[in-house]
Amino acid sequence: MDIFIQLTLNGLIAGSIYALVALGFNLSYGTMRFFDLGYSALIAVGGYTVFFLSRQIGLPLPISILIGTIMAGIAGYIIYLLVYVPLRKRKASNMALLVASLGIFTVIQAVIGIFFSSQFRTLSGPVDAERIFHVFGGSITRIQVIILGTSIVVMFALAIIFRFTTFGKSIRAIGDSEEVSKIVGINTSRIIGYVLFIGSAIAGLVGILVGFDTGITPTMGFSLLLKGVVASIIGGVGNVYGGVVGALFLGLIENYGIWHISTEWKDAIAFGLLILFLYFRPQGIFRK
Amino acid sequence: MKTKWIIGIIAAVILVIVGIALFDRSPDQAEAGLIKIGVVAPLTGDTAFLGEGVREAMLLAKEQLGDTEYQYELIFEDDQLDPKMTASATNKLIDIDGVDVLVSFSSGSGNVVAPIAERNEIVHLGIASDPNVANGFYNFIHWTPPAEEARVFVEELEKRNISRLGMIVPNQQGAVAVADAVKERLEGTDIEIVNEQTINAGDTDFRTAVNKAKDGNPEIYLLFAFTPELEILGRQMKEAGITTPLTSIEAFELTEERDLFEGYWYVNAAEPTNEFNQAFNSRTGKNQTLGAPNAYDIFNLVVSVTEDEPQRPTPKDIAEGLKDVENFNGALGNLSVGENDIILSPAAVRIIQNGQPVTIK
Repeated sequence: MDIFIQLTLNGLIAGSIYALVALGFNLSYGTMRFFDLGYSALIAVGGYTVFFLSRQIGLPLPISILIGTIMAGIAGYIIYLLVYVPLRKRKASNMALLVASLGIFTVIQAVIGIFFSSQFRTLSGPVDAERIFHVFGGSITRIQVIILGTSIVVMFALAIIFRFTTFGKSIRAIGDSEEVSKIVGINTSRIIGYVLFIGSAIAGLVGILVGFDTGITPTMGFSLLLKGVVASIIGGVGNVYGGVVGALFLGLIENYGIWHISTEWKDAIAFGLLILFLYFRPQGIFRK
Repeated sequence: MKTKWIIGIIAAVILVIVGIALFDRSPDQAEAGLIKIGVVAPLTGDTAFLGEGVREAMLLAKEQLGDTEYQYELIFEDDQLDPKMTASATNKLIDIDGVDVLVSFSSGSGNVVAPIAERNEIVHLGIASDPNVANGFYNFIHWTPPAEEARVFVEELEKRNISRLGMIVPNQQGAVAVADAVKERLEGTDIEIVNEQTINAGDTDFRTAVNKAKDGNPEIYLLFAFTPELEILGRQMKEAGITTPLTSIEAFELTEERDLFEGYWYVNAAEPTNEFNQAFNSRTGKNQTLGAPNAYDIFNLVVSVTEDEPQRPTPKDIAEGLKDVENFNGALGNLSVGENDIILSPAAVRIIQNGQPVTIK
């Protein structure tokens, strides 16, 4: 029973991280309609900004976390203005945008590697100082509780924005049809910029939380993005709530799946699940 | 538009000319008495401190050379222990630098370099556990063989009356080779592997593996992971409330976060000689790192074999010379090249004490 509780907790923690990635990814995919690989580099931007500010400059942690999140958002917005806006104006294909985003990912992770080296680093303090809670025989650390809480808060905040604000309605309208949105007077370029700022800030937050939980490397975002995309596809691409459900489902299945088989099968289970969904339910759990 | 095309064509022609000029430098053009040794090691990244140790040890060996018949040049290439970078660094050392001897660090890198060296008929010495690295005529290993490490490890388990062993092994060649040697050695003993978890190298979430590892109530956990998986694993085991002692073969010296493993015993290559330790320390101001004495010995072995040749030796001559090495006085003791072209050196039981490895047996 203890192992079941622990696996459930592990699944929820992993699922919460994937959910945050999926939320940010779905925001950008829902408006721009292409697979933005550059998003994964912004995860590392958040983590390394906090590492630099708190560990190297000595700023208080809450301020570092706030700046790290905003920095990732600004980086995402600048990338949008400098790269995606010009390409979209030229009616670049999704493939061209994908390649451009791959270039952005490569450049950002290389720059981080040059400044900070590709050495693995952690944002957390000594392991003995980490507070551990015991829940029904399972254990969970303080940072993992924060990860769970953050993902719930971000999901509800986005839900409120989508449902009750004009900005949210504009995002949904652009998601339905960018051309029609323009015709009805929505400044789509500006809204997409804001959306990318929010999505990138979420990516930065993911990098910070993962940095505290396990650690940071310049390439840390890529595998997280892949899992976030798998979660999005399972939940329903472009559907913000679907992404969250898909992420939690993925996290739990991954962890239950390796209960009686070797843990090295974890990724195979995740991508096997993706194939099953693509084959039997390509629209995901929820339709857009 | 036309100008752009002309500039593009001129740039392409310049690139081709530069490329031909670089690649056309065959080893024949090298000075007759110069022996080039190319070293592929992690000089940046997580394990840079190990690669730096290898570099410093080889430079130390070169500095200590007296009058020699031939000149020796060391060329270092960084691979960050990434196989793609290992392959390109190796090809660069062969094609552009025209090296006579290659040295690699780790089983992963060694498995990349070995077939390239064999194909190009260049001597390769790997600082690696996996015996496959020594496959072929030109490939050698200078590392305490897994069988020797497993022998010392199992003897220590028996001495400490440990009968239930848990193992956490990443799916990496070197680690698997040592884990297999331990399993083989345990056959016929009273020690049982009550739990074995295989983890993916590159993962960061081992929590489920850690929780599953509690099954069978092991008396000690044998960890094989490389950095950074090792540090993450150490942390996640503590977070999961595991207080059972940890041990390793080699792994604890692969990390700079040794405080995670304070007070735990493990098995590694035997302590190098005092002369080497002192010389390394006075050159670098640091203690020797894993593989550094092996690198020091490799340089001296190559020099020793080469100096015996009346004419500038070919890689084949060097390989043949290495196969005949017996009782060579190295930093890791009396060295001989054994069967399968593995340079034999003993293993020892060590402990992490105040963050430093200390030999206890």
